[in-house]
Amino acid sequence: MSAITRDRAVRPAPSAVSRRIRRAGSSAILPLVVPALLVALWWWGSESAVNGLFIAPPRDVLDRTLSDFLSPHPGDLFLGEVARHDLVPSLWRAALGFWLAVVVGVGLGIVLGLRPVLAALFQPLVHLGRSLPTPALIGVFFLLFGTGDWPKVLLIAFGVVWPILFNTIDGVQGIGTARAHVASVFKIPSRDVLLRIVLPGAAPKIFAGVRVALSLSLIMMVISELQKAKNGLGYLLVYSQRNFDYPGFWTVLVVLAVVGIVLNVIMIQIERRVLAWHRGVTAQHD
Amino acid sequence: MTEHTTERTAPASLELEAISKVYGVTRAIDEINAQVPAGEVTVIVGPSGAGKTTLLRIISGLDTPTTGRVLFDGSPIKGVPDGLAMVFQDYSRSLFPWMRVEDNVAFPLRRGVEKAERRRRVLEALQAVGLEGKERLYPWQMSGGMQQRVAIARALACHPRLLVMDEPYASVDAQTRAELEDLLLEIQTRLNVTVLVVTHDIDESVYLADNIIVMSKAPSTVQEVIRVGLARPRDQIATKEEPEFVHARAHVLRLLRGEAEPEAATPDDTLEVGV
Ligand SMILES: Nc1ncnc2c1ncn2[C@@H]1O[C@H](COP(=O)(O)OP(=O)(O)OP(=O)(O)O)[C@@H](O)[C@H]1O
Ligand SMILES: [Mg+2]
Repeated sequence: MSAITRDRAVRPAPSAVSRRIRRAGSSAILPLVVPALLVALWWWGSESAVNGLFIAPPRDVLDRTLSDFLSPHPGDLFLGEVARHDLVPSLWRAALGFWLAVVVGVGLGIVLGLRPVLAALFQPLVHLGRSLPTPALIGVFFLLFGTGDWPKVLLIAFGVVWPILFNTIDGVQGIGTARAHVASVFKIPSRDVLLRIVLPGAAPKIFAGVRVALSLSLIMMVISELQKAKNGLGYLLVYSQRNFDYPGFWTVLVVLAVVGIVLNVIMIQIERRVLAWHRGVTAQHD
Repeated sequence: MTEHTTERTAPASLELEAISKVYGVTRAIDEINAQVPAGEVTVIVGPSGAGKTTLLRIISGLDTPTTGRVLFDGSPIKGVPDGLAMVFQDYSRSLFPWMRVEDNVAFPLRRGVEKAERRRRVLEALQAVGLEGKERLYPWQMSGGMQQRVAIARALACHPRLLVMDEPYASVDAQTRAELEDLLLEIQTRLNVTVLVVTHDIDESVYLADNIIVMSKAPSTVQEVIRVGLARPRDQIATKEEPEFVHARAHVLRLLRGEAEPEAATPDDTLEVGV
């Protein structure tokens, strides 16, 4: 006790403050180091004699990205032509597929999680579905659903539903008999059991699955547009490559990265809100 | 505080008639016959694995007996009886960490109790357990003892006629345990509710009880029912010094160790129930 107070008195306050500032500064800078190195590597590659033909310099790609994807016109919601023609349809299909997967994955997951008999019954089917490499099914989806947006949406949904489904089943089964007993003793109506016990109880697991599904849905989005597409970022990747438009090709990669990062940040924010209690519980048990 | 009693119905009584429970090939409960008198505190003690939890599950309609029946106020139960509320041992799993204290307590009232009345009952129940002002907290922001108080408040908010508790204080420290014991006795008297408690703690059983049901080890029967005539309100120190307390505690301990034949525990007011 006295040792602590003595220590505190002796330690010069300014150094502690400056150390804290330095620590805060380094925590803001550290995550930027590797991306900066990557851009440097990219730039170095674009300068090289051979690869330079295919690797557009970062500066050109940035300019091209801004002119393609942004517009000064409020009437276009500041979206450039390429953004309107390819980015928006892509994201629209991805969002639709993703939400379809969330609804089906969570809904089915809850049913299977609550009914062990059904879970056992459908387990082989679920395992089969999960282990099928979805990109290989792309032809089947086009065959079944024509060539419009739907096969793409459904392919995305099919590709990303599995982590949500598995995690939901897992989360529901992990809620435990103690909570079930509380529900029966207090005669909680089944609607409340579902919405206020089962769903929140499984939410940490569900969110883990949804986060995986979110990044997977961007991948599936690109894959679904690689063939039989008239627009979309995936289409643009193929199209620009075929036309030797390498800066155009690189802009798509940049935009995909930005979209991925933005979606992930949104996801983290939502999770932080919805699962605040979960962090509280885990912190308490640490 | 008298307004509670006016709207409450009378405390419930229980009769256990020849209850047995067999799990596969294990006979957990051989035969239990016992009474839980209305408006009193009845404590069940017994060795680990005697089937105490099983018995409570049967009483609260969560499980069915292999044979026998439970009479709640004289009529056989089907499912969870109305007017029964329960406090579970493990508050960390019985409370919902995603709900604030007030929502946890109000949760069973969502059906059939309108909002203003719900609010009133929540505050009343939290006040009864000494947690006024804590309604906006989450359970995980509280100590174990406070969380168990929330669980008790949730049960009280239902205005139960029978309060069933399975080792409610097993996971709190000794000081908190003593406080919660006094709280339970105080609430029981004030709200005039029947209480049925399972405990492992022999001191606690004598301290709380009007009647102690001592179970044998599995396949279990009732070894003896001991009537405890200690005066209320009880006191953690004075009551535990009384000869009757000391005597009853020794007797329960001997029964549990198998050293004593069932006999009159306290000469004047022992109630023998046939086994
Ligand atoms: N669901 C079940 N399936 C099979 N056996 C069970 C089940 N529940 C309890 N048992 C068995 O029944 C017996 C009584 O268990 P119970 O949990 O009721 O004992 P208890 O008196 O509450 O013990 P403790 O004091 O340790 O809590 C034990 O032998 C137990 O293994
Ligand atoms: Mg038990």
